[in-house]
Amino acid sequence: MSGIEAADASGINGAGLIGDANPLRPRNTILKRYCLIAGFASVVLVLTAHVFVFQTDWARTGGLGQMLKTAAWFLPNLGYFPSILLALFETFLIALFGTLIGMVIAIPVAVLAARNVTPAGLASYWAGRVTIVLSRSVHELIFALIFVSALGLGPLPGMLALAVRSVGFLAKTTAEAIENIDIGPVEAIEATGARRIAVLLFAVMPQVFPIFVGNVIFQFDINIRRAAILGMVGGGGIGLIFAEQIMSLAYDRAGTVVLGVVAMVLLGEYISIRIRSWLL
Amino acid sequence: MALLEVVGLKKTYPTGETALRGIDLTVNGAEVIAVLGLSGSGKSTLLRCINRLVEPSEGLVVLDGVRVSELDRRGLQRARRHMGMIFQEYNLVDRLTVLENVLSGCLGVASTWRAVTRAFRKDDIERAMELCSRVGILDQIRKRADQLSGGQRQRVGIARALMQQPKILLVDEPTSSLDPKIGAEVMELMCAVADEHNVPILVSVHDLDVATGYSKRIVGLREGRIVFDAETREVDRSMLQSIYTDQDAA
Repeated sequence: MSGIEAADASGINGAGLIGDANPLRPRNTILKRYCLIAGFASVVLVLTAHVFVFQTDWARTGGLGQMLKTAAWFLPNLGYFPSILLALFETFLIALFGTLIGMVIAIPVAVLAARNVTPAGLASYWAGRVTIVLSRSVHELIFALIFVSALGLGPLPGMLALAVRSVGFLAKTTAEAIENIDIGPVEAIEATGARRIAVLLFAVMPQVFPIFVGNVIFQFDINIRRAAILGMVGGGGIGLIFAEQIMSLAYDRAGTVVLGVVAMVLLGEYISIRIRSWLL
Repeated sequence: MALLEVVGLKKTYPTGETALRGIDLTVNGAEVIAVLGLSGSGKSTLLRCINRLVEPSEGLVVLDGVRVSELDRRGLQRARRHMGMIFQEYNLVDRLTVLENVLSGCLGVASTWRAVTRAFRKDDIERAMELCSRVGILDQIRKRADQLSGGQRQRVGIARALMQQPKILLVDEPTSSLDPKIGAEVMELMCAVADEHNVPILVSVHDLDVATGYSKRIVGLREGRIVFDAETREVDRSMLQSIYTDQDAA
């Protein structure tokens, strides 16, 4: 700061071009900014100390060596792998059917929630929108808990939880796609005297189809990851095994489960890519 | 009785813009009638008010004894079967094949089940193929509509409209998206095919040469009003001036 004053005193202003108006930002603006940054940094520091330092059980964590040792417990035990294959397959099926059921429900919801094709004006439009919001604002584990309480343990409540959770995303993106279609073909089909269902099938659906399929595949990708944890609340699949192994301190087996889930996710990714290139 | 009668048709859009200020028009036999006017004169709105793609604000549309402007939704769907429409931007469904696009012309009479399964009746398919052959796209019928050129796409549009076996063709600027040579071919084809099927054409155009070249009668439109309605050979300079001279000078 004193340097800047010195510069002023030494007569930069005297160059004439600048005159009295300093083209740089005024000094106190810059000062204010430094104070702001310093304040922000100290808040972050306090919060960090709170969550990382004071809330952590350092005695249990041990030193770096101990941490590495603990991590090593999770090294997968490949001998255990065959016994989780069935559960992995079940998880995969939960994701698949959850997505498919959600897809079927999402189609009519999307038609309701698209302003330009909604059948009964504002009433049906809001019915569609509220359905979407309900589906999107609740976590899949909550849905799973609800369905488990209603239907008991097993893959069925898991599938339904994923289906209900998927409706929101699929219906929302599809409704937006419907709202963005080229209205020309719709007019042309309406002009032939076609009924509403025929207009939807011939003019709306062909335009929305590629977007819809892309989003279903994307949702399937996400649902594979979601399906892997549903078991922790009784929704079937690999999640239950993972929870059991952790609770019985069989960390090598838990590590095997994680490896299996990664493999399954990669497989799902591969299948998505294949379906996408085949269909679109 | 006239085939198509339009009485006192007015249209004001929700934006407050008035497109039609009282149109009276009668179409009798199979003839080509050009609706001539500058852009914004209300040509498209007039055509769209006849099959109610645009809802008229006031006035009467009667097609072959049916008061189209007073029908409910179901009745309107039935009435629209008798009015084929051809669009400036073709308005084909890109992802469907040419044949499917032509067949969509009979969706008005097809059952919902046939629409769902895309299982059209054999004689409809046959008729669609004949129309494709007539408009010169028979070798393209398996292609997707978006693979065709502009001229070819408008030929599909013509075939789709005729697939309806309409009593009248409403045609909105059919050649404005095409280059002049292709446009002339399409126009010629459309008029010839309509004549073979004994269907009158009400066609909106902004180009004087297109209007005089193909129509028997010209209806001049300006600012939502008909400024003249005459046999094409009787249309003279002063009539045309009434459309084209700019508003302040008039």
